[in-house]
Amino acid sequence: MRREIPIAITFVVGLIMLLSNFIAIPMGSYSLAQLAQEMGTWVIIISAFAVGLATVNLVLIHGHNLFSAKTRINSLLLLISMFCFSLVGIIEFHMPDSTFWTGLNQNMYENVLSPLSAAMFALIAFYLGSAAYRVFRMRNVDATILLISCVVMMLGQAPIGALIWDKFPSIAGWAMSVPNNAGQRAIMMGAAIGGFAVSLRILFGIERSYLGTD
Amino acid sequence: MSFIEGTRFLLVFSLVSGALIFYMMTKVREGKYLPKIRPLNGLDAIEEAIGRATEMGRPVHFSPGIGGVTDQSAPQTMAAMEILSYTSDLVAQYGNEMVVSIRTPNLFPIAQEVTRQRFIAAGKPEMFKETTVQFFSSEQFAYSARCMGFITREKVAANIMIGAFWAESLLIAEAGASVGAIQVAGTANLHQIPFFVAACDYTLIGEELFAGGAYLSQDKMELGSIAAQDYLKIVSIGLVILGALAATFQYDFLHQLLAK
Repeated sequence: MRREIPIAITFVVGLIMLLSNFIAIPMGSYSLAQLAQEMGTWVIIISAFAVGLATVNLVLIHGHNLFSAKTRINSLLLLISMFCFSLVGIIEFHMPDSTFWTGLNQNMYENVLSPLSAAMFALIAFYLGSAAYRVFRMRNVDATILLISCVVMMLGQAPIGALIWDKFPSIAGWAMSVPNNAGQRAIMMGAAIGGFAVSLRILFGIERSYLGTD
Repeated sequence: MSFIEGTRFLLVFSLVSGALIFYMMTKVREGKYLPKIRPLNGLDAIEEAIGRATEMGRPVHFSPGIGGVTDQSAPQTMAAMEILSYTSDLVAQYGNEMVVSIRTPNLFPIAQEVTRQRFIAAGKPEMFKETTVQFFSSEQFAYSARCMGFITREKVAANIMIGAFWAESLLIAEAGASVGAIQVAGTANLHQIPFFVAACDYTLIGEELFAGGAYLSQDKMELGSIAAQDYLKIVSIGLVILGALAATFQYDFLHQLLAK
């Protein structure tokens, strides 16, 4: 029963969600679409419990780190930040008219979280350089083709490319819109069909590894 | 009961596809047809990566991406769970340490259960610890920062990233490359594939990710569905050619059919 019940729930819920996209079935004063919408609300409720579980895991691991690990400063900072953000958020929720708490909450997001996220995002530019350096080494035929196409593409996109040879922008444009587009669409179609097959396998209980079983 | 406007073709295509998948699965199960999947080097390399990590005495990191279990990226996340199941088996057999980093809270109990059950099945339940599956953060860049920190500090020797990834893909993969880890990545998110190809040793591209479970388990039913996928691709290619011809000769019957 430990396997059968989750598979049955998956089948029923999956079928309702799937059919609600195609067919409008009135069920008295209720409809299939409304039922699917209702299930979306259930997901939010389940998610709230999952967030609770995840938070307990986070606190346990970092609480343990405080007493034993080399990274105790990191863990301490994480726990303090988590506590402060939660506290300010809860107070703001209960005192929505208080400009102090609303402002503080907003400031914490805009002046702490957003700049930190932006800094992490900005790191991508530097990592692109190091990744490109490794890829552009001519180790074999494939890497050489990649190198040549990348150089042509860069010259086609940069203003200096047109100054060197006025055909670079049109070659780069053609490479982007014809072979690149064709390849991308092929991957997209394959992935969409693959995703559909995985969904069906899960829906009908053929694929059960998400339950931890074969 | 009525059909929702604009979804009829999609419904018919889905039904036909579903029927074809079931037909092929039945055919394979009855032994009338045995499909062959070409070798997927990325999946074959997982064992090598874990073996090497064990020899080096360094841990394994598994990231199922930052996709959810209820949105469009759910098939990728579930495919990642299939590969997590296989990876957990290997980690338990080799007796190594593994950390599964989680971003989506909904996925956390699923990943815990998958890992725990595989460790139990391998006869090593004691290997499953509180730290085996860790919730890192629900914030995209906080998650990637934590992954990078973990990979760098613990000097992981095998970094497996399978699932739906966005901008964090290169950050995590470059952290793995900097510590010399064998990296196996896979995603169906088109714009992240080049980053993985650039930074990782092996990359599963698009549908290879979804074939992973069938390839690793060699389950007949699953192999049958992979064979059906090939036929569906032929049908899709046929529709693309038909669409191109129709557009060239200015017939819009296909466009009208798709909009029904």
